[in-house]
Amino acid sequence: MNKIKNKKLKNLLLALPFVLPGLLLVSIFVLYPMFFTIYISLSEYKIVSREINFIGFANYIAIFSSGSEFWYAVRNNFLYAIVTIPVIIFGGLFFAYLLDNLKHGKTFFKVGFYLPVITSWVIVALVFRYMFGNANTGFFNYLLVDVLHLTDEYIPWLFREWSGNAAIWLMGIWKNLGWALIIFLAALQTISKELYEAASVDGASFWQKFKFIVMASIKPTIFFVMVNMVIGSFNVFLQVLMLTGGNPNDTTTVLQFLLYSLAFSDREFGQASALGLVIAVLVLIVTIILNKYFKLNKDNEGNDAV
Amino acid sequence: MKKKRLSYETTRRLTQILLWAILIISLFIFSVPFLIMISASMEEFSYVLPYPPKVFPTRFNFSAYQYVLSMPAFGTALMNSIINTTITVFISLLVSTLSAYGFARIKFPGRDWIFRLYIFTLMVPGFLNIIPQFIVLRGIDFIPGLPNGLIGTTFGLILIYTSTSIAGHTFFLRNYFRTIPETLSESVYIDGGGHFTVFSRIYLPLSLPAIATMSIFSFQGYWEEYFTAKVLIGANENLITLPLLLQRLNGEHSTRWDLVFAASLLVLIPIIIIYTIFQKKLIAGNLTQGSVKE
Repeated sequence: MNKIKNKKLKNLLLALPFVLPGLLLVSIFVLYPMFFTIYISLSEYKIVSREINFIGFANYIAIFSSGSEFWYAVRNNFLYAIVTIPVIIFGGLFFAYLLDNLKHGKTFFKVGFYLPVITSWVIVALVFRYMFGNANTGFFNYLLVDVLHLTDEYIPWLFREWSGNAAIWLMGIWKNLGWALIIFLAALQTISKELYEAASVDGASFWQKFKFIVMASIKPTIFFVMVNMVIGSFNVFLQVLMLTGGNPNDTTTVLQFLLYSLAFSDREFGQASALGLVIAVLVLIVTIILNKYFKLNKDNEGNDAV
Repeated sequence: MKKKRLSYETTRRLTQILLWAILIISLFIFSVPFLIMISASMEEFSYVLPYPPKVFPTRFNFSAYQYVLSMPAFGTALMNSIINTTITVFISLLVSTLSAYGFARIKFPGRDWIFRLYIFTLMVPGFLNIIPQFIVLRGIDFIPGLPNGLIGTTFGLILIYTSTSIAGHTFFLRNYFRTIPETLSESVYIDGGGHFTVFSRIYLPLSLPAIATMSIFSFQGYWEEYFTAKVLIGANENLITLPLLLQRLNGEHSTRWDLVFAASLLVLIPIIIIYTIFQKKLIAGNLTQGSVKE
């Protein structure tokens, strides 16, 4: 018994130099802030005097009764996920499948489609803001009015509810499709070619091969991409900050943008923290539902592989 | 028999041509935003945007690039971004490889519990922490000359960057370390070496490719990081980073689009070069680890 205890103590001492630096940094700057958020969310925090007064759930009540902006933000985050994720997954899968069957020039297309992924959100937002310009010099207005002649009027894209949201969606799709493509391509390449040959010998049709070989093999990968994109859809921020600023009347706002405005424009740190926790709980619930539904999120050892 | 084989060859070749055609057209449509950026960065700026908007550059005028490169703020931002990213990547990976070894190969009490906490932090959205992080940094105000604590300092920003990346890197590297057979370390133990010898002689060299990959992704991530930088150093002119500068160039009223896009492309070029050089390794190797089940 004593020997086991000694061994445990010895192992702890052995591990400390390896683990301690990281553990200290994570504890002070990640874990402690996480719990501190809970406390701030239940308080009124005055930034200048650094006073914290406990006020219970008032911040939460304030958020849920603040009027339309919170519900617009929730709606827009969900709409963003519902609109962009299917397009990203089908598009990524489509192009990955084409690329998997391509003999020459794979690298060229891979790099080409991946460029938006490595381009920062700030730059992507800038070019989309330019393309959605209000007058005839904006690319989309020029395309619609002067090239395709679909309408006579120049559309103020970023100043309307639905066209503003559509711009945010389009940007998300453009930025993330290449990422899904690369992940799917890697998954497709692990499928043994013998499987296809065996299926051909058995007289399987194209769709049968696609369904029983391709789809069956990459289901876990689709799930991986989906979870990443769902979590990502709660991270929409810069798009809104730089494209629409939440206008008109908060109809294009999203949760993180709301959090940012609450904290750093309105200086409502308590309410912002409460909102942050609400978002975290939302993300957690969505992730758990996805996990339950797909039951695939385990690695070989049965550990969570998130 | 021979005829059938020929037609098979022809269909295969036709399929390849068709694939190329679809992909080339798609890639072109996909690249329009980049082409527009390049064209606009070469326009002569006249306070009126060019009409019609150009997808292909019609002139090769690099004055916007010259102007951006000679801006003092660009030099400052470039310097700061290089300093922030390289120090962050270096410290974070140093700390994370050490941690990962501890979690992977030493069975110390509380190990699994702490590791679960690490995974938990990965699942909570990072921006949630920005307010308490702001307050914690400001609370470190006992250093003379820093009334606002570490807010508005390079050190503070790097501390947050490093700390928030440790859990992810540790998680990834620990999984990588566990694929290295333990029998490899036995010869070291027999020779009387300890964990540090095993770590530096076996685990570190064997995982250099994984560490390199993570460095590149980490570098890219912090090179473009906007939110944290804006909150923690936003007001300090001398500490401005490239993403903050880009956002500022995008003025409220009269945006000089030629400058905005010249600067954007200058910021983008290092990332594209690094990615293009390493793309084979990145894609074939570690990028997809954890995502592809074999």
